[in-house]
Amino acid sequence: MSENDTMDPADDGNLIAAEYVLGVLSAEERREVERRLVREPTLAFEVAFWEERLAGLTDAVAPVSPPYATWSRIETAIGIAPRPRSVWQSLTFWRSFAIASATLAAASIAALAYIGLVPGARAPLMTTLSGSAGQPNFVAAVTATGNTLVIVPAALLTNDPRAFELWLIPTGETRPRSLGLIQPGQPIRLEIPSDLLSRVTPDATLAVSLEPPGGSPTGLPTGPVIAAGKLTNL
Amino acid sequence: MESGPLAGGTAGMDAEASRRQLAAALWRVAAGDRAALRIVYQDTSAKLFGVCLRILHDKSEAEDVLQDVYVTVWRKAAGFDPGRASPITWLVAIARNRAIDRLRSSAVTRRIEPIEAADAVSDPAPVAVERVELAQQHQRLARCLEELEARHSAAIRAAFLDGVTYEEVAQRMSVPLGTMKSWIRRGLLKLRTCLEG
Repeated sequence: MSENDTMDPADDGNLIAAEYVLGVLSAEERREVERRLVREPTLAFEVAFWEERLAGLTDAVAPVSPPYATWSRIETAIGIAPRPRSVWQSLTFWRSFAIASATLAAASIAALAYIGLVPGARAPLMTTLSGSAGQPNFVAAVTATGNTLVIVPAALLTNDPRAFELWLIPTGETRPRSLGLIQPGQPIRLEIPSDLLSRVTPDATLAVSLEPPGGSPTGLPTGPVIAAGKLTNL
Repeated sequence: MESGPLAGGTAGMDAEASRRQLAAALWRVAAGDRAALRIVYQDTSAKLFGVCLRILHDKSEAEDVLQDVYVTVWRKAAGFDPGRASPITWLVAIARNRAIDRLRSSAVTRRIEPIEAADAVSDPAPVAVERVELAQQHQRLARCLEELEARHSAAIRAAFLDGVTYEEVAQRMSVPLGTMKSWIRRGLLKLRTCLEG
């Protein structure tokens, strides 16, 4: 940037973050900024400031739906990509999870016992709700009639003061629907609201998030999701 | 337990809920949940594709970049810090950086357009992702840009949306490089004071 600085004495170099975010730098200058970002928190802060403040300019760009095939390509790319390193493992929250496969098996049996294994035309749906690194935290089962759900803890959870809220994300939908609060320490049986009955299908996702006492104030998850799993036919 | 379509309503509460939903989805992506990545994709791909397309002017290049963006999101979602950036800002930054890098590297044929074209932006109907944004912050940005000299703010807008270098903005607006640098830098300094104030 020395050449640029001489061209404009008013610039004391403080604008390099803004210039980086704006996108006016050459490839070489961009790499230089990125190298500095790693070791200069002040610069990183400046970049974050400009990214946040200027992001609104993209409101002027009309959204364009990408071709359908793009998502398939991403899925393929991810299939061969290594699993993401999860910072969740470093969170103290996770240290207090005790995970044992025996517990998982017991929870599965309990879940099935609770819903009652009645032979019928429709097989019950089940899922294991896992957290980071795939450790099972809950097992859930839906009765063959589809209107009752039982969720059983499969790991020993801490006495987190937050509420544990169960969500349904129906197949092909993006919006989580609350199924109610659950207990980390005991099995809970929930009646599925009638408007959601038709949405409890194979491939629908169940997820548990941590919420303020009493549950999410917004009707959507507000805290971290600690476990998620897709329903499958037993 | 609320009902109604995601796209319904424009209340601030709704925007905040969308923002939280997207943040929650990113957390789940960080935990390795592919279904959550799909949610993020469905909510944001049209916006990010629009942003990439605007910079690259080439559909197939923009598709490549978009793929790269979501693979990056998959790998780096754990790096998303909600205390530092809103989810859409974080995603837009990744998309713009990738698109700009692609533009610099290449290969991509530059289409030199007069600067008026950069101003002739459409005013799209709000979609879910737009509402994720903090409306107040955007209003402030708009107000601060209005306070700048018209040509300075036009240059800043064009540079940001098209991801072009100082040289190219100068060429487009038919002014010497030094003048363009000075316009943009003065504009940025003033903009920062206004945005911080």
